[in-house]
Amino acid sequence: MRVVIDVPVRINVGPIHPSTHGVLRLVVDVEGDKIENMEAHIGFLHRGVEKLLENRMYMQACPYMEKLDYFAPMSYDELYVAAVEQAYGVEIKEKAMYVRTILLELQRIASHLASIGFLCNDIGQLFTAFMWSFKDRDMVLKLLEAATGTRMFYVNMRIGGLVRDLPPGFEDSTIELLDYLSKRIPMYEKYLEKNPVFMERNKGIGIISRDDAKNLGITGPVLRGSGVSYDIRKNKPYYVYEKLNFRTQVRNEGDNFARYKVRMLELRESIRIVREALKKMPSEGSAVGMPIRLIGPPVKNKITITERELPRGECMIYLVADPQRPYRAYIRSANFINLSAIEEMCKGQRFADLFSIIGGLDMVIADVDR
Amino acid sequence: MLIGSSYSLISTFNSWLSSGNILLNIAALIAYGIFISIILSVYDYLFGWAERKIIAKVQLRHGPTYVGKFGILQNLADVIKLLAKEHIVPDTADKFLYAIGLPAMMAISVLLVLVLPFSPYLQATNLTLGLLFVLVLLSFMPLFMFVSAYSTGNKFADISAQRSVLMMLSYELPMLIVFASVALLSKGFNISGIISAQSTTWFVWLMPIGFIVFFVTMLAELERPPFDFLEADSELIAGWLTDYSAPYYALSLFLDYTRMLFGSLIMAILFFGGWSGPFLPPIIWLLIKAVIISLFIIIIRTTLVRMRIDRMLKFGWVWMLPLSLVNLIITYMVFIH
Repeated sequence: MRVVIDVPVRINVGPIHPSTHGVLRLVVDVEGDKIENMEAHIGFLHRGVEKLLENRMYMQACPYMEKLDYFAPMSYDELYVAAVEQAYGVEIKEKAMYVRTILLELQRIASHLASIGFLCNDIGQLFTAFMWSFKDRDMVLKLLEAATGTRMFYVNMRIGGLVRDLPPGFEDSTIELLDYLSKRIPMYEKYLEKNPVFMERNKGIGIISRDDAKNLGITGPVLRGSGVSYDIRKNKPYYVYEKLNFRTQVRNEGDNFARYKVRMLELRESIRIVREALKKMPSEGSAVGMPIRLIGPPVKNKITITERELPRGECMIYLVADPQRPYRAYIRSANFINLSAIEEMCKGQRFADLFSIIGGLDMVIADVDR
Repeated sequence: MLIGSSYSLISTFNSWLSSGNILLNIAALIAYGIFISIILSVYDYLFGWAERKIIAKVQLRHGPTYVGKFGILQNLADVIKLLAKEHIVPDTADKFLYAIGLPAMMAISVLLVLVLPFSPYLQATNLTLGLLFVLVLLSFMPLFMFVSAYSTGNKFADISAQRSVLMMLSYELPMLIVFASVALLSKGFNISGIISAQSTTWFVWLMPIGFIVFFVTMLAELERPPFDFLEADSELIAGWLTDYSAPYYALSLFLDYTRMLFGSLIMAILFFGGWSGPFLPPIIWLLIKAVIISLFIIIIRTTLVRMRIDRMLKFGWVWMLPLSLVNLIITYMVFIH
């Protein structure tokens, strides 16, 4: 026979649940439909990537890094390779910088498109927007496949450049795709923002104030949705971002809708960046980097810190380089730190809003657990 | 020829039913039962398939393709799979309530379809207060849903059970008032009477506000999106069905479509003139109308985001209830007074 349930009711959401974006466990105390208290439990997908990096030669670690964030694998790969390049002290070819910028922005487009689909799925819009946005994402992935050879996990970076040059005809097909996407993005906005229920489910939900967001160390679209104009691409520019003309998109509301809207605006900015980078890219020269080396940088305990603006926020690698293999590699994952805001966001919200908040944070649990 | 033979069948059925012979009466009722089961199973099966296909089309997918032509046998394969699976009753469940909850709901929804007339001659009974009977049966639905949710002892099902009560509070009253205005317009609760009252004009033209209110409340009654709070799969896993496995889950799928059939039929009867229409036999007209309404219900599922349960209550009391009252008053002032 059943037990009498106390108030508030404690519910385990996850680790197996349709909309926790992986294996996140949330212990939620609800009173009626209101969330009284919430606690996030992580670690179900912990693979010890940081330790694995210490036991691999430098370029052997790239595939591990890619699997951290499976919606933006190339961004993580690039982050790691950039850290190793810093340890080596290698200059990157100019053409390679442009190619990397283009590929990274395409990756950002793919990731943001996926996040829109997930948000809609989480608030109960049974797979329609999800399938549409994934179709568009797939077109971006096809382009990346043409450039790198694989569809999802590219392992396309080498020290000083890339594995291969861009294929012939890449520019034309990219511009064609960007034209298509710039027509699709307003369509999504029209479809979602003219839907009163979508607005109701996102406006004023999961508010995090500017100060709280700063204090918690949140980054990425979540921070920019709270009114802080902070973007590594702008504030500590790398590659050719200085030479390109784009804006940091900021919304002041700090709610779920602001985060969604920032992603929508960033899609447009990314399209702009890719267009401009394609125009400014030097036509001659090669982007191919060094072949894979077995021997690491000839340094002892050289500490490098590399920061990059990934689709989900600022990620950083703290690398203590040794010859042969890294002595220590610490990964600051944006998702992990963004997740710390979820308790603040959920307090006092309805149970159903918990899932729109998770969707708005755009979690990838593999990245949280590392 | 088919129509002719079906007519002769129906007249035989009628003569059996009206004859004083009790054996013939029972035979007629059994024949009607078989007829209803055929309609139910064909509709349930085809719509189970059609919903998959239509939603797949909207979502740029293919839907089922492998089993049978156009994947038409996919649902059969699914049901066979579900029946072959182990039926797990959770330890926390109240065994008796767990066992009767879903079958009771299925019985009620079959009874609901049974009460409705399919043509002037093809009906199980012609109750004087048919509409009232439908309403009584409808109000049993959330009760048994609550029972079956509560009996599993699952916390997600518990939330679902609480939500079902909240839902009932928000949509039942507006729906009742629309029923009342329909009865007012047709001067009686007899369902056949309602249909014959629409022989000149469909009620949907006479009370469009009432129809909108009824459609929305019916969506809530059927738990179709955007009001699918009880099965909200992204929130409550499967809500009240979370702990129902194998055969019970298959039953719940049938239940879903049976309820949808009832919803479309009652909408066709109350607002779209029921079986009335030229050329074709009445039952075909009724089914055509019901199928169009069902397709509309399915397409709504592909586009709308789920509402939030607390908004639903507000929506019901701030919008639906006043609108239904306005509809009642207009109906009284314009058509009766």
